[in-house]
Amino acid sequence: MTDEATTAGVHKEGSQMINDESNKEASPSEAAARDAAYWANLTRSLELGEVPPEARNINVSGRRQTSPLQGFGRMWQKSYLVVLSGVEATPQEVIATWKEEFQSFWPEGNHYYGPLTGIAPGDVALLNLSMPGKLTMSTGVLVLYADEESFTFMTPEGHMFAAFITFSAFKDKDGNTAAKVHVLLRSNDPVFEIALGLFGHRKENRFWTHTMTALASHFGVKNPTVDIQLVCVDRRRQWRNAGNLRYNSALRSAAYMVASPVRALRKKSPRR
Amino acid sequence: MAANGFVADVRHMGEVAVVDLAGDLDGSAERLLDKAWEAVGDVSVVVLNFSAASYINSTGIALIVGLLGRARVKKMLVRAYGLTDHYREIFEITRLSDFIEMHHNEEQATARP
Repeated sequence: MTDEATTAGVHKEGSQMINDESNKEASPSEAAARDAAYWANLTRSLELGEVPPEARNINVSGRRQTSPLQGFGRMWQKSYLVVLSGVEATPQEVIATWKEEFQSFWPEGNHYYGPLTGIAPGDVALLNLSMPGKLTMSTGVLVLYADEESFTFMTPEGHMFAAFITFSAFKDKDGNTAAKVHVLLRSNDPVFEIALGLFGHRKENRFWTHTMTALASHFGVKNPTVDIQLVCVDRRRQWRNAGNLRYNSALRSAAYMVASPVRALRKKSPRR
Repeated sequence: MAANGFVADVRHMGEVAVVDLAGDLDGSAERLLDKAWEAVGDVSVVVLNFSAASYINSTGIALIVGLLGRARVKKMLVRAYGLTDHYREIFEITRLSDFIEMHHNEEQATARP
């Protein structure tokens, strides 16, 4: 190993160098307390609480959460931004409303079954999502992080995406409050990768465009425009994760639907 | 929440680049982290030093995941040190620990692969 040969530094304007004493005000252990309350506790697998009887509850409990690193397909970074022009609401107020009424902004036919208390770190929610062919896909999310200006979901094994999905609100450069969904994802397995290429991106874009439009309309924005950014971060597929297919929630949900008459008959027939 | 300015310094030690991260790693750090990544150049190992990181939110973690994606494209190994127990736990829950080697100090983190 050679001695330090080159140094390149990048700093926010007015900020101090890393080795300045001014940057040592907060030790890492002190600072940890500053964000600790916003993060979910360490969990090896997801456990879903009570859900309504009408919900289709499979593919969540016992599954591990996944980040884009555990997925199969190309890594994409997507963002959906809407500026709440002329709206007085602060970013904190927008996020509070978004957390409270999360489901109401979604397109019809899609359901988010989370705790009644709202969206908090460590919560696990069940999703019933409308898919092509009248399939209802059952999957879920873990609330990985939640503070006053943002919250983030992580998806379980078997979800169509291995992803971080972050919802945030902030003041833009013109002083308007803006809301944003930022998704970092890989499809979870080869079947979802094919589906993503065929129709998944379009469906995903429609889903979040609807959501952001509904959110903006809720705050009184007329004819909101949703700005979509799509960047491929890594074009290569992770073939070592092709075996994620065994958890595929669409295939499992389809099998569950096909078997539902058999389950109904079993329930009706008296036990011997 | 976000209060302290973010700083990313890059030091080259042969085939290893050490990125010293200080301050708040949140969404506002994206541009500076991108610049730091450009300064990393073509090395075989990138070491992220979190010793002076004072705050990390989920957007900051997503930025790190993005860096890992870019490192994979260039077949670079990514290591980290200076993580408190709290941040080690965050790396566990976000499963970054599956892809980042975590070390206790710079000497270990910059050792030849």
